[in-house]
Amino acid sequence: MDQKFEGTPKVEIRLDGRKLSRGEVTNDWGLRLQWQVKRDGKVIATPPARAESRYEHPDKTPGKYEVVLQMWKYVNYKKNKQREFISSKFIDISNTVTYTI
Amino acid sequence: MIHVGQANVPLCDGVSRRSFLQAGATAMGLSLPTAMELEAAGAVDPKKQKIKNCITLFLVGSPGHLDTWDMKPDAPADIRGKFKPISTAVPGVQICEHFPLMARMMDKVALIRSLHHNTGASHENGQRWMMTGYDFNAANIQPHMGSVVSRVFGQKTSLPASIVLPAKIGNTGTSTPHGQASGYLGTAHAPFFLGSDPAVKNFKVANLEPPKGQTDFRINSRRNLLKQLDDLQRRTETSSTIQRDTAYSRAFNLLTSPKTRKAFDPAEETDKLRDRYGRNTFGQSCLLARRLVENGSRFVTVNHFDTVFNVTCWDMHANGSSLDNTYLDYERHLCPQFDQAFTALIEDLEERGLLEDTVVAVLSEFGRTPKLNNRGGRDHYPPAWTNFFVGGGVKGGQVIGSTDKIGAAPHDRPVLPPEVVASVYTAMGIDLETTMMPGPGSRPVRFIEADPIKELFG
Repeated sequence: MDQKFEGTPKVEIRLDGRKLSRGEVTNDWGLRLQWQVKRDGKVIATPPARAESRYEHPDKTPGKYEVVLQMWKYVNYKKNKQREFISSKFIDISNTVTYTI
Repeated sequence: MIHVGQANVPLCDGVSRRSFLQAGATAMGLSLPTAMELEAAGAVDPKKQKIKNCITLFLVGSPGHLDTWDMKPDAPADIRGKFKPISTAVPGVQICEHFPLMARMMDKVALIRSLHHNTGASHENGQRWMMTGYDFNAANIQPHMGSVVSRVFGQKTSLPASIVLPAKIGNTGTSTPHGQASGYLGTAHAPFFLGSDPAVKNFKVANLEPPKGQTDFRINSRRNLLKQLDDLQRRTETSSTIQRDTAYSRAFNLLTSPKTRKAFDPAEETDKLRDRYGRNTFGQSCLLARRLVENGSRFVTVNHFDTVFNVTCWDMHANGSSLDNTYLDYERHLCPQFDQAFTALIEDLEERGLLEDTVVAVLSEFGRTPKLNNRGGRDHYPPAWTNFFVGGGVKGGQVIGSTDKIGAAPHDRPVLPPEVVASVYTAMGIDLETTMMPGPGSRPVRFIEADPIKELFG
């Protein structure tokens, strides 16, 4: 019996200055939940978001920051020769917020 | 077809009505005639019925103890692994960073860090030890803990005394017993295997569904016909036959009872609670375990995975083939999934006032090698591992036993699997000194030839 994950998780995130907060995830698959932080289009951090509903990224390097909440989507466990998953991946489950430093 | 234990029984027009009823009864795991006869003979003491419940979460494949609940941050890199420890609600006790929710409730948890066994390193060896307290072969099958509880204490309600979710353990490497059968106690005490995934839409319990073409009307018609036939027979038959007929009638009620179906239906819960457990097979099985205990089942086992091959599971050999679980699976899938479901279960039981009357035992087969293999995984390692208990009167917020600096062997208070099994029974309120069970040939025997871990009951 392979693991089933039906439906799609959804959550709303908010931004107050540089402080992020999230609501409760609906249709929560219960897998890794993380903030994906990009600066000028490049991913610079993916801190966990499960235990706390608030987060403030400590980096103050000037640039345009984009943040979205992601969850791991399990399709199967297959990996390539570089030991990365082939089909399973993180997917965005929230709106994206932006701020500039 | 209707599933009876591990067998399929054909069911169609022409098959005897009594066979159908017997099949239904056995599929339910009913103790049926045996329990009734025992009760009639005074063998079941009503006082003993007041034992606590047990929910066992069995982590098939086995987590690496150094990557989860017995971290060694000061060990060399090829031993300590990739994860970092975090502090918990209990000062001085640390666990893996990927269990942040569990860390908050460590005051309820009793970790046993010195488990070990000295037999083979196969999954099945560990499964037998941890689910029965014995190692054995196919010719001498020892009963699962739930079967023992079913045999001695019977059912509280129409629900089977022992239920396994979501499915029985399948292929984990060798064709030897897994420890989830009733052995000499007979099929009437075999666990009821759900055989369905409670996480899917339109979930239905396969073993509670009437076979195709069998509507409630037809089933009830058959019950009425059987009743007429039995009324005729009853005049010439013994009282034990009458008892059996009553039991079959109860099995019929179980097959068609809306209450039973409700107990098995996680959709009765709010979306918020279902989300809290995690919308996945393991999470919804944990939720179902709570519902079943709440509705009268005594012993519910949740298998976190039913195989170790070609799926994400705890068996992190990282072998690049059919056993290719790695740190990535632990970080992204396994640890978060367990953390979410386990803590939801404990919170939920506590909020409903069920935690004192329900022991939750998180068990696995063995540990994993202290040194990472050359692919970055860890292999089977019975000389040391960690399991834990919550609830049922167990004293939480403690660590029992420890391993050496690299997690290779118990350093103090070594614990063997039979002691864990004895502890499960004791946590359920069973006095192992005074309560006996019928052994092979029905002679009274002790539940288990071991003492419980006394520290658990401080």
